[in-house]
Amino acid sequence: MSVRIEIPPLLRHHTNGVITAEVKGSTVGECLNSFAKQYPGTRKRLFDKNGKLLRYVEIYVNGETSYPKELARQVNDGDEISIVYLISGG
Amino acid sequence: MKGITRKFLRVNLSNGKIGEEAIPEQVETDFIGGRGFGIHYLYRELVPKSDPLGEHNKLIFVAGPLAGTTAQAVSRWMVYTKSPLTGALARSVSGADFGAWIKFAGYEFILVEGKAERPAYIHLTRDTCRIEPADELWGKDTAATQEWLTRRHGLNTRAACIGPGGENLVKYAAIVTHRRTASRCGVGAVMGSKNLKAIAINAERNLQLYDPEGFKKLVKQQIQTMMANKAFQYHREMGTTGNPENTSELGIFPTKNFRYGRLDDYEKITGDEYLKHRIGQFGCYSCAARCGKIHHVTKGLYAGAQSEGPEYESIWAFSGPIENSSLEATIAADQLCDDLGIDTISTGNTIGFAYELYEKGLLTKKDTDGLELKYGNHKAMVELVKKIARREGIGDLLAEGTMRVAEKIGKGAEAFAINAKGLELPAYEPRGSKSLGFNYATSNIGGSHSYGYATQEVLGASFPRRVDRFAEEENADIVIFNQNNVAVGEVGIACAFSRGWFPQVYDKLLIAATGIDKIAERGYLMHVGEKIVNLERAFIVREGFGRKQDTLPQRMLTEPLHTRGSPGEGQMIRNLDKFLDRYYELRGWTPEGIPSSEKLEELGLGYMTKDMAQYHHIKAT
Repeated sequence: MSVRIEIPPLLRHHTNGVITAEVKGSTVGECLNSFAKQYPGTRKRLFDKNGKLLRYVEIYVNGETSYPKELARQVNDGDEISIVYLISGG
Repeated sequence: MKGITRKFLRVNLSNGKIGEEAIPEQVETDFIGGRGFGIHYLYRELVPKSDPLGEHNKLIFVAGPLAGTTAQAVSRWMVYTKSPLTGALARSVSGADFGAWIKFAGYEFILVEGKAERPAYIHLTRDTCRIEPADELWGKDTAATQEWLTRRHGLNTRAACIGPGGENLVKYAAIVTHRRTASRCGVGAVMGSKNLKAIAINAERNLQLYDPEGFKKLVKQQIQTMMANKAFQYHREMGTTGNPENTSELGIFPTKNFRYGRLDDYEKITGDEYLKHRIGQFGCYSCAARCGKIHHVTKGLYAGAQSEGPEYESIWAFSGPIENSSLEATIAADQLCDDLGIDTISTGNTIGFAYELYEKGLLTKKDTDGLELKYGNHKAMVELVKKIARREGIGDLLAEGTMRVAEKIGKGAEAFAINAKGLELPAYEPRGSKSLGFNYATSNIGGSHSYGYATQEVLGASFPRRVDRFAEEENADIVIFNQNNVAVGEVGIACAFSRGWFPQVYDKLLIAATGIDKIAERGYLMHVGEKIVNLERAFIVREGFGRKQDTLPQRMLTEPLHTRGSPGEGQMIRNLDKFLDRYYELRGWTPEGIPSSEKLEELGLGYMTKDMAQYHHIKAT
């Protein structure tokens, strides 16, 4: 199953500036792991030591949040995953 | 249509006249409330070219239409006035309970004019308003002032006050309530210039809503949406303390007076490091986020320092500009700013500027009262905070802000003054987050991130579209969208951080509270947001601002950014003019940056065409 990942600015220096990636997987977790295999530098900015999604990262599938299922959320061929960092300041 | 009357209170400190005035229904429909009312009334009331620290300037304390209700994260308040720091518009936003208390007293806003002969404070209840002497309060810090007012008027008193910073007319003095500040643009100095120490309100919840039952259901929906929102949960856990790590990795954490995009040892100032010092939290009225994280220092040089905060901007203000990674020093400086009533962003930025002047030999130990302003010296930074608020020694100069300090020092100091329109830039590097940078350049209050925050660049948000953060004129539409969209959120003065519920219920809550059914029309809120930004633009055009002032510090235009290994190395603002041409074109403004007659007509501001026409001949130089 092919899924497209939109890479956020924070991760782009780990992807040599690439802004989208095609990955394989049937869940968000499988897709993100496949992505992190392609670009190992992104792993620590996505997962904690136990492999859980970081608490300040939110995943959208076709514009809809995957929270609270997160990594277990099913995806379909042609879906688009967006990674958003929940950190802001002011 | 509505059956509820919205009104404001006018207090004249010169002649002691106090009176209520109804807000006409047309003004309500056109501007809805909050920031809309702030700029509508300031534009209408202020005589152009008034001295910001003179008797004729006006101060407007505005609550949003949802403040004081059970709705979450909407009880913030803001101050509108002419800025003594920039000479342009001042819009400054704060939190805690004061916004709710303005509404409980029965008003949308309080308009203060004139000048008291002696120090005074305004005491307001649901039934009375008095101007009281404040001689006993003058000189007290903001915590002691609020404590005094609570002792005097009772536990349900909420006050907005100034500290020594405002009394001493520090150009970037803040107005403080609890430990939350309306801190940007020098609004506290305007209060000080009027001899007004505080506004204290005693009142209890007593609100008129257009549709109370409908409102109740919507609040339930709002809370359910918030609680199911991961961003809200994270904000509740960390406030904004997690951001330094993020912006450092993006290379946009301004360091050494905006020469670098990250602190070398930023791992020492992350949210998890602040967590080790956390002892509690505080929330604004009716907000479950409780994002004010309280930090305490237990040992070392700053033992005993305690602050509600620092939040992201203040973490940066007392670390990045002087390359300091002692978070204990940052907590101490933050506490001092809140106590003394000065803006953390402008204070930290101005101190970073002073350190660079020292490095370049434009300030010496003789000028700095013996303080050694070497990068990393946090003790001198903390001393400077006190000196600035009290205008002691070098502090008297630095209290004027970077623009005026550069003018006074000369010898090329301007090249290191990091402000836009005189307002010191905040904690995002414009060369690495260019939509934010161009927002600084075009903002009607000067260098403010919150005037048009670029979530697309900092967080990776994809709405309204994805952006390349190093692109320039291609993102003019994004800068405009962000500025208008912020204005939409501020007609209800909703918190910028708790927004998961926004698309679902914001407009509906506004309708249920006010009865303005036009809000339901598709695109109406964005129309009002655009109208507000245009009216604010007209305000500053009238004060003499135009294309020439829509600029960025020289450093951004001539020096490459160094990011110490983060992305964005070598970035500069390549072509500000090209950006401005595109921005003005999309805004419907003249090439000089003045709202055109057609745009004003389209926005229902046709009555201002005559005002603006007299500026249309101005050419950018």
